Amino acid sequence: MKTDYKKLAEQIVEKSINKGATEAQCSIYDGVRFSVDVREGEVEQLISAGSTSLSLKIIVDNKVATASTSDLSSKTIDELIENSIKKAKYLSKDEFASLPELEKIDFSIEKLKLYDDAAEKVSPAEKTKLAIELEKICSSNKQITRSTGAGFSNSYGTTYLANSKGFSNSYKSSSCYIGVGLQAGEGDNLYEDGYYDSARSFKELLSIDVIAKKAVDRTIRMIGAKKIQTQNVPIVLEPEMSARMLLGFLVECLSGSNIYMKRSFLAGKIGEKISSDLVTLIDDPLIPGGRASVPFDRDGVPARHKTVIEKGVLKSYFLDNYSAKKLGMKPNGPGPTNLKLVPGKYSQDEIIRSVNKGLLLCSTIGQGTVPTSGDLSKGAYGIWIENGYLTYPVNEVTISGNLGTILNNITMVGNDPDPRSSFSAPTLLISEMTISGK
Amino acid sequence: MTSNLWLNELLANPTKAVGETLLSNYFGFTKEQLKKLLEIGLSKGGEFAELYFEYRISNNLTYEEDIVKSASENIMLGVGTRVIKGNKFGYGYTSDLSFDKIKEAFIAAASIADSSNGNKVANLNEKKIQNQFYSMQQPVSLASLEPKIDLTRRGYHSAKSYDSKITRVTSSIADEMQYILIVNSEGVIISDVRPQVRLVVSATAEDGNTRNTGRGNAGGRVGLDFYEKIITPEQIGYQAAEEAVILLKAKDAPPGEMQVVLSKDESGVMIHEAVGHPLEADGAWKKTSIMWDKLGQLVANPIVTIYDDATIRDLRGTLNIDDEGVECDNVMLIEKGKLVGFLNDKLSAKILKHKENGHGRRQSYMHPPIPRMNNTVLAKGDSSPEEIIQSIKKGFYAVTYQGGMVSGTGKFTFSVNLGYMIENGRLTYPVKNATLIGTNIDILKEIDMVGNDMGFFLGTCGKDGQSVPVTCGTPTLRINRMTVGGVA
Repeated sequence: MKTDYKKLAEQIVEKSINKGATEAQCSIYDGVRFSVDVREGEVEQLISAGSTSLSLKIIVDNKVATASTSDLSSKTIDELIENSIKKAKYLSKDEFASLPELEKIDFSIEKLKLYDDAAEKVSPAEKTKLAIELEKICSSNKQITRSTGAGFSNSYGTTYLANSKGFSNSYKSSSCYIGVGLQAGEGDNLYEDGYYDSARSFKELLSIDVIAKKAVDRTIRMIGAKKIQTQNVPIVLEPEMSARMLLGFLVECLSGSNIYMKRSFLAGKIGEKISSDLVTLIDDPLIPGGRASVPFDRDGVPARHKTVIEKGVLKSYFLDNYSAKKLGMKPNGPGPTNLKLVPGKYSQDEIIRSVNKGLLLCSTIGQGTVPTSGDLSKGAYGIWIENGYLTYPVNEVTISGNLGTILNNITMVGNDPDPRSSFSAPTLLISEMTISGK
Repeated sequence: MTSNLWLNELLANPTKAVGETLLSNYFGFTKEQLKKLLEIGLSKGGEFAELYFEYRISNNLTYEEDIVKSASENIMLGVGTRVIKGNKFGYGYTSDLSFDKIKEAFIAAASIADSSNGNKVANLNEKKIQNQFYSMQQPVSLASLEPKIDLTRRGYHSAKSYDSKITRVTSSIADEMQYILIVNSEGVIISDVRPQVRLVVSATAEDGNTRNTGRGNAGGRVGLDFYEKIITPEQIGYQAAEEAVILLKAKDAPPGEMQVVLSKDESGVMIHEAVGHPLEADGAWKKTSIMWDKLGQLVANPIVTIYDDATIRDLRGTLNIDDEGVECDNVMLIEKGKLVGFLNDKLSAKILKHKENGHGRRQSYMHPPIPRMNNTVLAKGDSSPEEIIQSIKKGFYAVTYQGGMVSGTGKFTFSVNLGYMIENGRLTYPVKNATLIGTNIDILKEIDMVGNDMGFFLGTCGKDGQSVPVTCGTPTLRINRMTVGGVA
């Protein structure tokens, strides 16, 4: 017998109120996951499982306690409700701690195309074969020393959310992934890279030939990499670096909790110019089939399209219900969804041609980002640019700068966003950063 | 939905009896049922089958903006099923502890093998843990809320009152109690109860437009008394505030190659990244680690000795048994510069024909075990820390870090939160925003002075999408040549 989780979530909310909570919210995720990892043509691990988890938010007179459990027996749930109510009474009153007022979802969740059953129709054997084939194509290249493994995975499940403001809704979502990791070079001079694709639907995944070619190219281009002198030069960010390094860090600096805790150098900067006017950044959770599309957030606030930066001017932070209340603003989603830095007009070649001496940044390693100050410092791999042309690969250097300065130093924006990631950005030219090497 | 008798008992005695109840009745199963499940695991010709039961209560409490901001309680209950055949394995898990659901999870795992001849399961015998390396007095997870609120409040106020430049403080305590039961087809039944706690204070200091964050933290597999006897919340809060205020005056690091001194407090993260990860034996049998073929070779300066000891009492990475039920030990990795060992889980030990050494760990029942570190330590040497700093004309002294990362190829980085410049044997001014970068093979040879002090860093290590608690220990070290990434 299949449990009706929508009903269960609603019942738990009701029970919590009856037991003394002033507000209550319950979410349940019920999902299934499959993954296969292969290496050297053989299956290495196969994971197949289903799991359910439940989270609970209990508010008693503006005091919040939360709980979660993978044990959904009614006794455990009752116990958690009672514990949370008891616990909330010990806590401090927080005037901002209350659930958001009910807002209607005025779009069709169905049309978001968050779920596709294509991957479920593919047998584990076929999925395994795809991963093995992908690895085989890569390994057939003589410059590839070895594969660190290829994998396929997919998952699907339903998210349910109910709260005492009258919200109760759910959505089913799916995702698929295929990727490969490779090493090139020899002896102690090895280089690692790879490529992957992920999508809501199995049908949208890139073909294994395309993934293999990218993975091989990315790995072998680092063979023979050397260290270079310490210097300040222009840096060209590949689309993946624009998305992962730049947008990844920026998003951290714009998260509501970092803003109200003043742990971000961008706190209080709404309406101010924080970047070169070439930068316009949009977050759209409602793209049909988008990798990070979502109909409502964890508090039941409907997802909204928003402009984050418009021609260099900061327009919005990422605000969940709590941070929004603290800052006296409107909630717009706890974090980025499908985030897009609007492409410009230049091809990557044109951008590289414009650089006399500089580095095409291909990948980075390490943390090295401090939202409080905006400081950024990471280990870097790239290709040296000389007189507008790519020359030799570079490694064992670091790049560093301050995000505030980097944003203002964006002088060219490419037309080539990476379509795979939920963070989409094109090639960018940063007029100056420090490379530390010899 | 589950309706096991043990759960009733558990809920009737939510505190002390939990562990005993869970473990003494095998999470509600009889030995015969467990054996039957393992037989299903081996029914397709698998060579090894295993059940990993887990029940974990964890709590978080955060004190911020002069109030208790949030409190949460999390329960994790489930079982992982694993079947090994040759070099490969199948894995399943479920949070529903009914016989049928576990059977289903085992059938999924068993499909890694495809023979029609099943293998035999040995008779199940309960093994007792030989040594207890955790402090089981006053476990924080079983304590009431008041003492925990008190600890976070004290840490908070200590940081807040350090200096008027401290604007924001977050003080939080995270504790957990994990009960595990491992049953495998070799006939082993073994269980462990593991406490864990950490108090973290982070403080932000502001001066005009300059803003910086410092951090202090302490904990381990200890009880409440740790915060009175070993380190107080006041000391932790003070550390965080002090670092934040020093950072206000810090300059950017000058970039380039120079002599580097790693302080004892947190520099264990470098040993962890640069040496520990490449010595996890999955990288050896897959030949993806730069160290895979170097056993018996001189890989470091002979003044360097590195071991991983899961049995150091009360540390964050300490374990009585690993997550495959193998008793933990002190494993020598590099002895006087020579590579002598790897960290093994059952699978890697079997493939490489190494001795099992208790380093198979997993994040939870939803994750298969893989070779991991516990408490990785670079052994003490002869030099005093003062002597090491005095030996340098111009160099960099790394004190605290944001973290580190290493690739299979041995290239690593670690991000320095606070450092100092060394000029003519003295620390001159504080430095921020620096990244240290190198290759483990080079750095191990460049370590040319080892201090006679020792510090431990509490970390959470990520690998293959799994996080586990670890500790890394190191004395003050001098590295003859290293690239410091800074701003010119």
